[in-house]
Amino acid sequence: MEESITDLITSFGFSSPEAFIALLVVVLAVIGAIIVVITFRPLMEYYPYTYPNSRVRAKIGKLFSEKQLTELAEAESLEEVQNYLRGTRDYAKFVDKYPIEQALDANLAESYDLLARIAPKTLKPTFELMLDQWDIKNIKSVLIAKEAKLNEEETRELLVPYGALKNDQDKLIEADSVQELIVALEGTPYAKLLEDALPDYNENKTLLTLESALDNYYYDKLLVASSSQEDDNTRMLHSYIGTKVDIENIKIIMRAKADGLSFEQINPYVINRGYRLRDWKLKEFMESEDMNSLLSSIESSDYGSVVADHIPEYNQTQSISVFDEALDTYERDTAKNIFRKKPFGIGPIVGFMYKKEIEIKNLKIIARSKRGPIIPSSEIKEMLL
Amino acid sequence: MAAELALGSALAAIGAGVAVGFAALGSGIGQGIASSASVGAVAEDSSMFAQGLVFTAIPETQAIYGFLIAILLLVFSGIMGGNPLGVTSGLVAIGAGAAVGFGGLGSGMGQGIASSASVGAVVEEPSMFAQGLVFTAIPETQAIYGFLIAILLLVFGGILGA
Repeated sequence: MEESITDLITSFGFSSPEAFIALLVVVLAVIGAIIVVITFRPLMEYYPYTYPNSRVRAKIGKLFSEKQLTELAEAESLEEVQNYLRGTRDYAKFVDKYPIEQALDANLAESYDLLARIAPKTLKPTFELMLDQWDIKNIKSVLIAKEAKLNEEETRELLVPYGALKNDQDKLIEADSVQELIVALEGTPYAKLLEDALPDYNENKTLLTLESALDNYYYDKLLVASSSQEDDNTRMLHSYIGTKVDIENIKIIMRAKADGLSFEQINPYVINRGYRLRDWKLKEFMESEDMNSLLSSIESSDYGSVVADHIPEYNQTQSISVFDEALDTYERDTAKNIFRKKPFGIGPIVGFMYKKEIEIKNLKIIARSKRGPIIPSSEIKEMLL
Repeated sequence: MAAELALGSALAAIGAGVAVGFAALGSGIGQGIASSASVGAVAEDSSMFAQGLVFTAIPETQAIYGFLIAILLLVFSGIMGGNPLGVTSGLVAIGAGAAVGFGGLGSGMGQGIASSASVGAVVEEPSMFAQGLVFTAIPETQAIYGFLIAILLLVFGGILGA
């Protein structure tokens, strides 16, 4: 047997079996290296998500089920809702410390804070930037509180204990005017933003001018930060954030057109940078003469299919809530699609972000409905998202 | 100075290296993925420790198969005493090592991914444990094929009992 193998090897031109074996070993090593490289590539994309996805899926598992939300909606009082939340690990620490809405916002902020800490390197800048939303929200709350002449304690209850300005909240609360607030914000990008928007505010005396400047700054930076085309995961996160921005813009313009506002009146409140709705398209929307012409413009955009099916219902009811619902459903479907397409990548993170926001909105609806006059639980359930 | 190895035994040594090296590579990557997911799950829910440990341990098997074949090769190839192997048997030994090594590489990585997905599913919905275990066990089959073929090669290639 060995002689025949030796003959075969030498017939191929090898001087000895050892030379053939050496070549065989080299070939085996090369094949092994190629296999390792080929199999490693998809793994390298997947590996950074294993830890964050596990944590996020654990959080998804702890979100309130429909049954639990129904129980909360049926609660007799706000105290009962608070006691219910005290029974959960995630909400208990905030409910004991803050008024209910502040506690809910703090819980949401904590979730975003967690995402910023555990997100894979490619997504980290985007999630870190998302933490700025709490600074923006807090500055807006202080502005509103000043306008409503709330005292320091009442103002403090509106603030979320998160964000880069967390330790400067006292300074913000103590400011007596927008000018003083700008001084208190010195050294942050928000000071210049508010300073630039101040002439408009002084002229119109409407806070929306200042709020809009802050929102535009935040979303503009967020869209730029998330626009990295590094891989499918970053692209999908960008598409999710971009879709949210577009939907927000469409809702603002729809409400404005339903109230008969003009381009000049709407323009300051629209987020300038769209995702699939470019500047010229947004301008076209805002310049629409009325609701029907706006709907025609939307139909010719990437969001045409979202609103098209609901136009007959709108024509019947004349209520733009049908479009609000359709756009909310579209946002939910976008999150779901990303979850399905990237179950080992960004999917669970986007799914969690969406579900957590909905949970907080639902809990706020329940909390508010328990404050004033008694609202039947069936009505509360209908209001839930 | 150690006695010079016969060429066949040296080839068997390469087979043993391939067997345990590639199988352990797959197993290690798989276990790394599974344990990373388990750590995430335990960080959120400490009651997940036992389940996480089970899912993390599963991709260990590929390394065990590779290790067993490597030990058999070392014992029966004359490296650890006994008769040295001929060149033909040495080539068979490389085949056996490659079978269990590459089989374990793919299987280990696949099982690691399945394990981490199962950890995620169980931490989200605890009743998913049994289903997760079944799905995680499925990528084991490729390693078993490799292991069986390696054993058959050793038996009928004249190495076991040589």
